[in-house]
Amino acid sequence: MRRIFAYFISLLLLLSAAELVAQDTILFPLKIRAGFDLVGPGMYIYDHDHLSMEGYLSYDKSEKISFVLEGGYADYRYTQYNYDYHTNGVFSRVGVDYNFLKPEISKGKYWAGLGLRYGLSIYSSETSMYEQENYWGTFSSSIPKNSGTGHFLEAAPGFRTELFRNLSLGWTLRLKFLISGGGGKDLKPIYLPGFGNGGKITTLGINYYISWSIPYKTKRVITKPVVVEEPEETDEEGIMQQAPGFR
Amino acid sequence: MKRLSYFFPALIFIYYSLHLVSCTPAACFEETNAYLKASFYINSTKQKLAPDSVTLSGLGQTDKIYDKATGLQPALFPLNASSASSTFVITINGINDTIEFHHSHFPHLISKECGYSVYHTIDMHAFSQNNIDTILIINRNITTVNEENIRIFY
Repeated sequence: MRRIFAYFISLLLLLSAAELVAQDTILFPLKIRAGFDLVGPGMYIYDHDHLSMEGYLSYDKSEKISFVLEGGYADYRYTQYNYDYHTNGVFSRVGVDYNFLKPEISKGKYWAGLGLRYGLSIYSSETSMYEQENYWGTFSSSIPKNSGTGHFLEAAPGFRTELFRNLSLGWTLRLKFLISGGGGKDLKPIYLPGFGNGGKITTLGINYYISWSIPYKTKRVITKPVVVEEPEETDEEGIMQQAPGFR
Repeated sequence: MKRLSYFFPALIFIYYSLHLVSCTPAACFEETNAYLKASFYINSTKQKLAPDSVTLSGLGQTDKIYDKATGLQPALFPLNASSASSTFVITINGINDTIEFHHSHFPHLISKECGYSVYHTIDMHAFSQNNIDTILIINRNITTVNEENIRIFY
């Protein structure tokens, strides 16, 4: 009976993987984050004609991927010799962030990666005065307030680091691509909230976020499989003593 | 990793500085006036041919748009955005005629740097026939794009 049992165990070991693998794992905290941008309010200090405020919420789907929702408000005024322009509106972006750092390096504290966003802007704009000179003299008029909707895409590479427990600072570059700015072919927005210059197909921006995070789950993440040597064949008593994992 | 986040405030300062410097308006290099573009054709052969001499002015205006211009092709008619019609006195090879255009207008944004232009749509036209045989409307939309709008057969 004992011999049958030993032969059975041997057969099981042979049928299983030729190499037995041990694994390193870490406990990775998945977090929910909320933050706001410092660049927009900072820019308002220099230029009172341009206000942009935005914040974000993110949810760690895994140690690599986070879902992100951003939203904000912008108010923009521009005046030059031949027109006065004002626009304001809200914008929102949804997307994902991907962390290029390995879990054992990031540990839920550091992020270096790339985000992709789809953006939507809802705005109203008004040109209180515009004028043009030609052969017949100076013509002045205005364009009443009208509403529009714009769509755009973003790539957002950047970094984030945890300064204190659950308090992080981070920045992203914003590479923006305009899909549609609204306003038709004659009255494109001079400024599109969340995007920038509505007359350009691509624009560049920067965000610098301060954020708070709340861990909601801990995930065991396999970091590195460690290969061990194949166990040696022994007699009936040796198999029970040397085979790893058997107690 | 922390250094990268600390370094960034310096980058933002540089960005703000560049933004302040760039706040001075950039120059406008685009055409901002929308002209009605008229090509001249000789009526007998229907061939495109510039008159020997063209003088053009607005009715009631002292300044001339063209003063005995030679080889003019096309002629650019500026329309009056303050009125629903624009009337011109045109002298082709020494013979006077009047041309009147009834038009509507609407604003068009050229760019942030240039501002707005006034585009027109020709609704109706009328002309005397001292030297002008006929005027054909090719494109009623008067824009800054270099496209033929009317043909004057003389």
